[in-house]
Amino acid sequence: MKNINLTKWRYVSSAISILLMITSLAIIGVKGFNWGLDFTGGVVTEVQLDRKITSSELQPLLNAAYQQEVSVISASEPGRWVLRYGDIKSADTEQSNVDIQQALAPLNSEVQVLNSSVVGPQIGQELAEQGGLALLVAMLCILGYLSYRFEWRLASGALFALVHDVVFVLAFFALTQMEFNLTVLAAVLAILGYSLNDSIIIADRIRELLIAKPKLAIQDINNQAIAATFSRTMVTSGTTLMTVGALWIMGGGPLEGFSIAMFIGILTGTFSSISVGTSLPEFLGLTPEHYKEQVISDTP
Amino acid sequence: MERKPNKRLLNHYSAWKYIVLIVTIIVMLFSALPTFYGEDAAVQVGAKAGLTLTPVALRDKLQAEGVTVKRIDQKNGETLIVLDADNQQTLVKTLVSSMVTEPKELTLSLASAAPSWLQNLGFQPIKLGLDLRGGVQFLLDVDVDPVYQTQGEALVDSLRQFIREQKIRGASVYLDQTNQLNLTLPDNDARAAVRQMMKQSYPNWQLSNTDGAGLQIKLSQEEQTKLRNLTVQQNLQVMRSRIEELGITEALVQRQGDHRIRIELPGVQDPAAAKNVIGATASLAFFEVKESGSVNAMVLNDKSGKPIYVSRTPVLGGDHIVDARASLGEMGMAEVNINLDRVGGQKMSEFSRTNIGKPMATSYSEYSRDEQGKAKQTQEIISVATIQSQLGDRFRITGAGTYQEAQQLALLLRAGSMTAPVTIVEERTIGPTLGAENIENGFAALGLGMGITLLFMALWYRRLGWVANIALISNMVILFGLLALIPGAVLTLPGIAGLVLTVGMAVDTNVLIFERIKDKLKEGRSFALAIDTGFDSAFSTIFDANFTTMITAVVLYSIGNGPIQGFALTLGLGLLTSMFTGIFASRALINLVYGRDASRHVRV
Repeated sequence: MKNINLTKWRYVSSAISILLMITSLAIIGVKGFNWGLDFTGGVVTEVQLDRKITSSELQPLLNAAYQQEVSVISASEPGRWVLRYGDIKSADTEQSNVDIQQALAPLNSEVQVLNSSVVGPQIGQELAEQGGLALLVAMLCILGYLSYRFEWRLASGALFALVHDVVFVLAFFALTQMEFNLTVLAAVLAILGYSLNDSIIIADRIRELLIAKPKLAIQDINNQAIAATFSRTMVTSGTTLMTVGALWIMGGGPLEGFSIAMFIGILTGTFSSISVGTSLPEFLGLTPEHYKEQVISDTP
Repeated sequence: MERKPNKRLLNHYSAWKYIVLIVTIIVMLFSALPTFYGEDAAVQVGAKAGLTLTPVALRDKLQAEGVTVKRIDQKNGETLIVLDADNQQTLVKTLVSSMVTEPKELTLSLASAAPSWLQNLGFQPIKLGLDLRGGVQFLLDVDVDPVYQTQGEALVDSLRQFIREQKIRGASVYLDQTNQLNLTLPDNDARAAVRQMMKQSYPNWQLSNTDGAGLQIKLSQEEQTKLRNLTVQQNLQVMRSRIEELGITEALVQRQGDHRIRIELPGVQDPAAAKNVIGATASLAFFEVKESGSVNAMVLNDKSGKPIYVSRTPVLGGDHIVDARASLGEMGMAEVNINLDRVGGQKMSEFSRTNIGKPMATSYSEYSRDEQGKAKQTQEIISVATIQSQLGDRFRITGAGTYQEAQQLALLLRAGSMTAPVTIVEERTIGPTLGAENIENGFAALGLGMGITLLFMALWYRRLGWVANIALISNMVILFGLLALIPGAVLTLPGIAGLVLTVGMAVDTNVLIFERIKDKLKEGRSFALAIDTGFDSAFSTIFDANFTTMITAVVLYSIGNGPIQGFALTLGLGLLTSMFTGIFASRALINLVYGRDASRHVRV
C-alpha cells in the first residue's frame, strides 16, 4: 500500500518537475538575464555618502556628469550606493573616468569610494564566452563520467535532474532580475556538481538493488532505493542548506547572489533527484536485465 | 565486497597509520595558525636607503606624527616598521622618505603578526586576494597587430629593393589591412627569383601563388605566435621593472591568456597614480661614443653608473629596428642579431664604414609620469660594442656577456620596434574598508555554518556524531593548512564561500557511512561488523559523488578569473580533505572506540 503511494507520489512530482522546467524555460526566454558587469563591461562604483542623501538627489547629478542614464541602487547599508553606467570611452583614455568626487561635489557630502570596477566590453564578451564554455565542458565531462559508471538509462535520469536544477536556478535569476555575475555562474557550476551528488547516491542504490534483487519490479526497486537513502539525502541537504543559509545571512552583499543560487539549487537538486531522477530511467525501461552481465565486473 | 585481507583483525589500523594521521594534523595545524594572527601593514626600509636613526628614535619621531608603531625590527641593515593601523602605511612611507637619503629603497609590505617561533618554523599566513585585502587590479591588453605591421613594412622595403636590384619591370607590392603582402610580378621567372630570395633571407614568411605570376606573402602561424610571445614577454618585463618603482613587495605582474597582462597592486588605493607608472613609453637609440672629457658630447650613465660620453645626436633611433634576437654564435659566444629597416640600414652602413674599430653605444630611455603625474625621462646606456666591419640592415652585436644577458639586451632592443600599444581593459579598485568587511562577513558565515553543522551532527547521530564533528574540525584545519602551504594559493571572497559550502558537504561522507552502518545494524549484525561493512560499501558511493563535484571544480579553475579560481580551489581542496578526514580519520577514531564492540542492538 505504502509502496503504491510512493510510486504515485513520485509520478506526480515528476510531472510537477517537468511542468516547472517548461515554465522556467519560458521565463528565461521572455525575461532574459540581468547580466552583471563581468559580462557586459562598463563601470560599477560603490560609494559611501551622507545618510540623508536620497537617490533622487544623486540621479540628476550623475546623469549630467556621465552624460547617460546612471543606474543608482542602494546597497546593503544606508548611505551606500552602487552606481553603474556604461564606459564613456575606451578604458585607456584619461577622460574615461569622470571624477566621482567632482560629480557629487554639489551635495556637500564626504564621498568615500569603497570599490570601483571598470571592465572593457571585449573582456565581458570573452568572460561570457568562457563561462558558457565552462558550463558546456563541465556538462560533457559529467556526461562522460556518468556513461562510464552507469547504464545509460540510469545516467539519463541523473542528467535530466541536473539540467532541471540548472534551468530552474537560471529561471529564478531571470524572473527576479537579480544580477547574474561571475560568482553566480560559479554557483551554477557548483550546483551541477551538487545536484548530481544526490542523484548518484540514489542511482548507486538502484544499481545495487537491481543486482541484489533482480526479481523485484523496477517501481519497487526505485521506491526502496529512495527510502534507503532518504534520511541521508535529508541530512546532507539539511546541513548544506544550513551552511549556505548562514552564508546568505552573514556573507553580505557580494555573496548574496551566490548564496541564493546555491540555496535554490540545493532545494531543487534534492527534489529532482527523487522525482525525475528515478522516474525517467523507469520510463525509459530500465530493468534488472541491464545490470545482469556487468554484475561481476562492475561491483566494487 | 567480501574480500578483506585483514579478516583476522577486524577494525584495526596499524600504528603507522595513526602516526601519519597525527603528524598530518599537527603539521597542518601549525601551518594554519599564522593565518589566525593575520598580517600587519609594514614599511620596509632597504639597507641602501641610508637610514641613520636608531629604532627608538624612529619610533619616537613617528609617534610624534600620530602613528602607532607596533614594532621596529632591524636586521642586516634592513629596517621593518610594523604598524598598528593599515591605513597609515602610505603616511609612514612619506614620513620616512624624508628621513632617508634614498627614498626609492622604501617598500610597502606586510608582516605576519604570528609569534616569532611560529614564523621561524617557516609557516606563513594564507595569502589573501585583492577582494579581501583591498587594492587595485589592472588587466592590460597588448595589441600585437602593429608589430606584425612593422614586420610587413620592413619586408615591403626589402622586396622593393630586391625588385630594383634584379631589374624586374612591372612589379608592384603593397601591404593590406590584414598585414599580408600582395606582390604582382610580370612572369614566372621573376616569381622564382623572389621565391628563392625569400627562402634564403626570410624563411619565416609563408608564400602562396596567386593568379598570374603574383605572390601572396604572410607571416607563418608559427612566427606570429613567436612574435606575439616575444612582445608580451617584453611588455611583462617592462611592466615588472616599472611596478618595482612603486615599491610594493607583494605586487603581482603576470601573463593572462594569449596577449593580456594582469597587474595586482595590493594596498594601493589610488588607481590614477599606478596608471601613470604603467603607461610609460620606451625608446632606444644608437650613439657614437666620444672620448671621455669631450666638449661637444652628452654624458649618459651606464647601468653601473659609469659616465659615458656620446655624440649629442644619435646615429640611429630605435624606431628603425625591426627585430632583435639573441643567439649563440660560431664560437659559442652570445650575440644579438639586429634587423633594421631600409632607411636604418643605409644610415647604419654609412656610419659604420667610417667608424670601423670604434665603439658604438646603445641607449635605452623611458618617458613616464611619476606618481604625481609629472612627465619624466630616464635614459641610460645599455651596451657599448665595437664595430668590427661595415654594417648593413642586418648586423650583430657581440660582447653582450652571457646568453641570458644577450637575451635581456635583445628584449630591450625590441622595445623600440615592438612597442605594441598597451591598453587597460579592466580596472578594479577595492577599498580597504570593504576588504576588511568582506573578511569579517565571510568568516562570520563560516563560523555560523560550522556551529550549526556541529550542533546538528552531535544531536542527530548522538553516538557517532562526535566522530563526524572531530573529522569536520580536522578537515577545516587541514584545509586552512593546505591553503597556507600551497604556493600560489590565494584566498578570495568566493573562496570563503567555497569553504562554507565544504563544511556543509563534508559531513556527507560521514552521513553516508553512518547510514550504511545503521542499515547493517538493522540487518542484525554486531556493531563492529556493521562498522566494517558500512565503511566498505559506502566508499564507492562517496567516490562517485565527490568525483562529479571535482570535475566542476577543475573546470571552474580553468576559467582562470582570480576570485572564481579561489572558489574552485577551496571547493576542490575541500573535497579531497573531506574524503581524507571523513573516511580515514573518522575510521581511525571509530576503530579505537567501537572497533571491538560486539553488541547487536546498538542505536546510532
